[in-house]
Amino acid sequence: MPALPLHTAGKYVAAAYVVLFALVLIYVAIMAMRLSRIEREVGELLALSRLNEDREEDSPQGKNRAEGSAQEQDREEGSPQQEPEPAGVEGAHA
Amino acid sequence: MAAALALVFFYAPLEAEQGFLQKIFYVHVPLAIVALCGFVTGGVLAIAHLRTGDARWDLRSYVAIHMSLIFAVGTLITGSIWAKGSWGHWWVWSEPTLVSFLIVFLLYATYQPLRFAIEDPERQARYASVFAVAAGAFVPLNFIAVRLSTAYVHPRVLGSSSNLPGPMALTFVVSLAAIALLFATLCKYELTAKHTRAQLRALRRRMVEA
Repeated sequence: MPALPLHTAGKYVAAAYVVLFALVLIYVAIMAMRLSRIEREVGELLALSRLNEDREEDSPQGKNRAEGSAQEQDREEGSPQQEPEPAGVEGAHA
Repeated sequence: MAAALALVFFYAPLEAEQGFLQKIFYVHVPLAIVALCGFVTGGVLAIAHLRTGDARWDLRSYVAIHMSLIFAVGTLITGSIWAKGSWGHWWVWSEPTLVSFLIVFLLYATYQPLRFAIEDPERQARYASVFAVAAGAFVPLNFIAVRLSTAYVHPRVLGSSSNLPGPMALTFVVSLAAIALLFATLCKYELTAKHTRAQLRALRRRMVEA
């Protein structure tokens, strides 16, 4: 088969490269949506943790606990504490 | 990617028979090679999961297969476009390379429905790994079978019969490296996203329990 003229072959070549570009673009767009969902969830968790902290501080037990822990901290000041181990991946299944 | 595109359009010479249309070769063949290698990698990672029972290997296997499927879609579409320009048909059923690639693609297209049809996460991971190992072994066997077949309408790229001139070979190698890097980058991107989501779910559970 003879080679196609440039104006005809160009359409096919452009189409092939546009397909690759479109695939990557669609994938990145989907990942961007997922990322924004993760960002929203982190925001929700932050709000939840703040709410929990406020509740603990408001309750009388929480106040006592907070005072006790403050005293404990004063006593243990100067003694190096071990860093907690990083939590492993839980529920890694997709 | 930019270097590969520059080489394709400004450095690689026009092929005598196909002319400008042959430029599709630099995107179609690397996509096919990387997709097939990704499927095999998914199988190897699945073996690691079955051996260790570590869920992280399963996640890596899943991501490799998922990404390879996307690259396989790209291979099929660019291949069809090239076939239309070169042979005048979108698809040639008598060509073993095309049909065998379609079979591999359809085989892996069943991976996700199989996986997500199982609710128990451990069983899901185990069954998916077994599938990935079996299908991963099928890919090179399929490749060898096609090589041994008699019809050679589809051009051979790699092997003793390949006779790419120097500039074309260099452009092809750079394109292959670019597509492989794209694959690795997107895999890393997806793995990080899935990892972060898993950690978020665990954190949410802990906070709700506390």
